[in-house]
Amino acid sequence: MSNIVTERLLSRGADLPGPKHLRPRGFVALVMGRAMVRWSARIGAIWILLVAFCAIFAPFLANSAPFILKSEGKLSFPLFGSLHPIDLILPVGAMVGTILLIRRRIGFSSSLALLLWACALTGAAACWPSSADYLQQMSSLVGPAGGMGLLIGFWILLAAIVILFPLLIPRKAILITGGCLLPLLIWLLIFPVRPPKTIVYEQYRDLARAGNIQFALYAPLPFSPSDRLRDLGDASFLSPSRIHPMGTEYAGADVCSRMIHACRIALAIGLISTGIARLIGVLVGGMMGYFAGKTDIFGMRLIEIFEAIPTLFLLITFVAFYGRNLYAMMVIIGITGWTSTARFIRAEFLKLRKQDFVQAAIASGLPLRRVLFGHMLPNGITPVLVTTSFGIAAAILYESTLSFLGLGLIDQPSWGQMLNQARGVGASFIWWIAIYPGLAIFLTVLAYNLIGEALRDAIDPHLNR
Amino acid sequence: MPEKPLLEIDRLAIGFDTPRGAIVPVRGVSMSIFPGQTMAVVGESGCGKSVTALSILGLVPRPPGRVLGGRILLEGQDLLGYSEKQMQRVRGRRIAMIFQEPMTSLNPVYTIGEQIAEAVALHQEVGRAKAYEVAEEALRDVGIADPHRRLFEYPHQMSGGMRQRVMIAMALSCRPQLLIADEPTTALDVTIQAQILELLQRLQRQRGMAILLITHDLGVVAENADVVAVMYAGRVVECATVEQLFEHPRHPYTRGLLRSVPRLGSAAGRLETIEGTVPNPGNFPAGCAFHPRCPDMKGDRVCATVDPTLRQVGQNHWSACHHADGYAEAPESTPRIGHLRTVPMDWVTDGTETPAAKEPKA
Repeated sequence: MSNIVTERLLSRGADLPGPKHLRPRGFVALVMGRAMVRWSARIGAIWILLVAFCAIFAPFLANSAPFILKSEGKLSFPLFGSLHPIDLILPVGAMVGTILLIRRRIGFSSSLALLLWACALTGAAACWPSSADYLQQMSSLVGPAGGMGLLIGFWILLAAIVILFPLLIPRKAILITGGCLLPLLIWLLIFPVRPPKTIVYEQYRDLARAGNIQFALYAPLPFSPSDRLRDLGDASFLSPSRIHPMGTEYAGADVCSRMIHACRIALAIGLISTGIARLIGVLVGGMMGYFAGKTDIFGMRLIEIFEAIPTLFLLITFVAFYGRNLYAMMVIIGITGWTSTARFIRAEFLKLRKQDFVQAAIASGLPLRRVLFGHMLPNGITPVLVTTSFGIAAAILYESTLSFLGLGLIDQPSWGQMLNQARGVGASFIWWIAIYPGLAIFLTVLAYNLIGEALRDAIDPHLNR
Repeated sequence: MPEKPLLEIDRLAIGFDTPRGAIVPVRGVSMSIFPGQTMAVVGESGCGKSVTALSILGLVPRPPGRVLGGRILLEGQDLLGYSEKQMQRVRGRRIAMIFQEPMTSLNPVYTIGEQIAEAVALHQEVGRAKAYEVAEEALRDVGIADPHRRLFEYPHQMSGGMRQRVMIAMALSCRPQLLIADEPTTALDVTIQAQILELLQRLQRQRGMAILLITHDLGVVAENADVVAVMYAGRVVECATVEQLFEHPRHPYTRGLLRSVPRLGSAAGRLETIEGTVPNPGNFPAGCAFHPRCPDMKGDRVCATVDPTLRQVGQNHWSACHHADGYAEAPESTPRIGHLRTVPMDWVTDGTETPAAKEPKA
């Protein structure tokens, strides 16, 4: 009896009797399904998935180092050696996440725990060899003791995740995931991931020119984003050709490779800054809506104050005083962008707190935390889904604007920064550096807006017949 | 006859601060409920019966609500002095509540099983698989067919009567001592009403819990209650056993209520009504709140100036009327009627012609 119930619990209605289309679905799943019926939303989703694919697998798609290199009788794997831990964690996380989404055999919280566990396991294996380098970097920033403390703290956290999360996850899922990850972990032990401090891209071309390569397997686009080809003669501002499908920029780096690697920043800035904004918005709006009265009045004034802050000027001011920092940018966009979420959640909660099922939840003795975030939030979250997708688009535009003004990142490629570089020598216009990143920004923002619009229509009660 | 009341409400007063000044919808309610007893609270809309019920669980929104005075004693412990944390341990575990509107009382985003199991896991401190077993048992107890499959269904897949059964299952899953039922059948089809009330009676007999039944349907009262408290304008005006109240009402308001119920076989063409309207909680009339509408005592000086208190006017009979026999001699007291159930004889109605029964929902 208990076993059957547990299985049902974990399967979330996946094997309930009756035809598949009659199985119950949660409200959010229902809304998502209804939104994705539209072709415009589907095209948007496909574009976002494409960008996400590029972001996750960027180093495997465009890299100067070959996957496999056989030179002078020695076999090596230069591409894997040059990876950062994050380059491995992202693909592993994406694959585990996709499998969990498609085969929904275990519940949401178990899925999340499993995902974190897989990422932590990969991260631990990948971080180990390069942690000495990180210690050095950290020591220069916060002193040797602080650096050591940070490193130990990091490892304790990682170890805690790796050891504790399996307790929350069904054993079968642990065995399957662990089994799938085992080859990768063994591989990482034999060929440790340790990005060299200075990468000499020229070495492989030198080898090729000297005829010393017996066999080499390259990534589809054999150029790293920072692989400047100046040494090969004048490679700057080459127009698109078979070798460089989107041409090269002023220093001779491949534009297509930079486009692919820039996907990561475009997605990260959108997701993280909007995530921060939604978190603050939901917390503040939830408190305002639930407690109403004085809390509401105070919160409303807080919202008005934050709405008066011009985000772009704050960003420019910050960069001017404290230098370029992607994470600071995300935080600034996040803490100035939560007001619309707070307004939405407040309005929803004001409506919901009078509802009978909320009264019933309180009357059954649930703690306030559960009532607010377990019973009210899922019923009021849908309008926030809409603003989230518009918010992500806005955040991408902020980053592009900043980069275009020359205040973005220098060392990492981003679409806005590339747009800035489309101004060639003597204010000439280099069309291929302008068109491709411009198109990417345009399409990504459009895609998020299309999805947002479809979501808005999907939750519209007038269409809810 | 059990001697100690399970719940005793002693001169409870609750006020609300509104932009147009304070109003006092509950002003000195006294009643007591004994274990295993069904206590019905009847009265017109706005007489304070729902606010009283909500205040027992500490659910009156504060602000604007405010407890102005009185005590609510659960087995001798004053609930008004409890902290929010302590109240959470009372709610659902010792006192449960079911609401009027079954269509909106269940959270649409969770399955039935999820909602029952959540409360069970919280109060009985069991794991989730065990909580689901308890939930399935609770659904079977309220007469839901195929409870295992129903556990994994969402509220929108059920009819109103089913949902009210689920609400009852949820409320009773933690075996409370007292169930507060705030007009549990008002929103239901009449045939379903009878089923739900029968179910409540059966579960009450099985478990020996007390029920505080809030209703304005006198037919429901006659069939289900042991003790009746009649409320008017934020007060209990009469409290007696169900037989006493229906046969010898000792307050003109109660008499008016009983006269305005349609009866089978009565020759009268028009239903009788009580003249006038319920006074606004913002300005109750001076003296007896009922005196402007009172058909018996119009023009009496005492009624217009002195506010009557609830006094014992007979065995198992309390009334707040200056003109009730024995009122003048008795002191003010909280009604305590420990009572074993007997079925009243001639007040059995089929419940079809209740004044406020809503149209059944699809």
